[in-house]
Amino acid sequence: MAELTRYRYLFEQMVRRELRQKYQGSALGVAWYIVNPLVLMLAYYFMFGVVFTLSEHDDYPLFLMVGLVIWIFFSQALLSAAPSLLDQGALIRKSPFPREIIPGAVVTVQAVTFLVVLGLVAVITLLVRWTFSPALLLLPFVLLALYGFVLGFSLAVSVLHAHFRDVAPILSAALLPWFFLSPIFFAPGDITDKAAARFAMEWVNPIAPYIEAIRRILYEGHAPSLAGLAYVVVAAVLAVLAGRALFRGLQAELAVIV
Amino acid sequence: MSGFTDGNGTGLAPGEIVVDHASRAFSIRADRGGTLKELLLRRRSAGPAPIQALDDVSLRITPGQTVGIVGRNGAGKSSTLKVLAGIVPLDSGSVTIGGRIVSLLELGAGFGRDFSGRENILLGGALHGLNRPEIEARMDDIIAFSELGDFIDVPVKTYSSGMYVRLGFAISAHLDADVLLIDEVLAVGDEAFQRKCEAQIARQVAAGATLVLVSHDAALIERTCERVVVLDGGTVVFDGDSGPGMAYYHHQMGTPVEAAPATASAPASAPTGTPDP
Repeated sequence: MAELTRYRYLFEQMVRRELRQKYQGSALGVAWYIVNPLVLMLAYYFMFGVVFTLSEHDDYPLFLMVGLVIWIFFSQALLSAAPSLLDQGALIRKSPFPREIIPGAVVTVQAVTFLVVLGLVAVITLLVRWTFSPALLLLPFVLLALYGFVLGFSLAVSVLHAHFRDVAPILSAALLPWFFLSPIFFAPGDITDKAAARFAMEWVNPIAPYIEAIRRILYEGHAPSLAGLAYVVVAAVLAVLAGRALFRGLQAELAVIV
Repeated sequence: MSGFTDGNGTGLAPGEIVVDHASRAFSIRADRGGTLKELLLRRRSAGPAPIQALDDVSLRITPGQTVGIVGRNGAGKSSTLKVLAGIVPLDSGSVTIGGRIVSLLELGAGFGRDFSGRENILLGGALHGLNRPEIEARMDDIIAFSELGDFIDVPVKTYSSGMYVRLGFAISAHLDADVLLIDEVLAVGDEAFQRKCEAQIARQVAAGATLVLVSHDAALIERTCERVVVLDGGTVVFDGDSGPGMAYYHHQMGTPVEAAPATASAPASAPTGTPDP
């Protein structure tokens, strides 16, 4: 931990670098981080809000957007964390700084853009549906838990990919069906009455409770269920602990293999 | 990270290095990650046998000492530096170092090519655990030393390779090292800058820094180091004063020993002493 505080400025530098590097020289620059998810959301809105209108949810576009923006954060963070250690191999071979900083910075950049886009979606949802409620006070905690959950996952994925180069392709293949199985453009109750199937969709898929909790707060204006809140916190803590343990266990040889 | 503490709490004085029965082998196939196939089949494709880069090496270096590490190619010199720098872990044994370690390995590697020299100075300092005020305080000295002038504010991708290395060295040379680890890097840059680098290193040594230098340049070792460690096949075959040490090294390399004194006055005739391809 002392190591990480000592290298706090390095973390800041890596976040800046990551933010600017990707779109350096393009006309929109950093704005691309926001434009990309917005375009993606428009495409999904067209698909599920206009072409296939099978939903019974009021203000369906908003229902969809809240879930989608969370999914985009989750998937983009994992996909950009996976190759991050290899991308920064030159730094790893040169200096013994704490390696967690690299995937940590990548996830943080995605989190920052996520917050901007979520902010837009949240303001529109709150105004259109007038869902202001005390439950909003819970939102920062749920978002913090989501950040921890994604960070833990990303630590694991990045160090695993450095050792086994199949991890990133497997991940990107898995994310597509995972997307359709997640309650993003539907709620689990919409598509099945079977208790077992609902349970699997609501609780086995670890990203589902985050989507559900945030959608409850923003879209419905209620506090999430107690079980839901407990789940997101426990899942975040477990993900961080497991991700960190795996990273620590596998990081020693990084300078040799990247 | 058992063996790799780089500072306080090691029980060592700043600049002190203790290497205790250090061993490290490199498998040639381990230079990359595995694939799922290899994992599932529980075997790695056949390849050359692992190379024992360090084989039960023990060294004790006192603060302020200047040590040259020499040996034929593959003798374990660079591995020793990477282990000292805390970048590569040991298979067994331990390395403990007191104080701030600054390694001049792969100078300029990892620069963000789209970022200016100034921004890369910030990153370079941060990589060694400095914070912004600490780096800003050194900024002017670093820029002056690098002789980059107005180029300091343009992206480093426009730099020549010499400018790249000058910036890299300038950063490393201003980090208040207790231990300096240097790997051949002085062979780059023009002659004037090489002299300037040597002078800067000498200043840091005079200020009490420990120096560990890996080089094939016998004249450089004789100029800068009081102690020489000769490695061969991952073991220490000679450890002592640089005079006898270099004589041993030249003998090992099959170079006439009398070539050594000649180097001081006539660098051009310098030891053909690097029989490396």
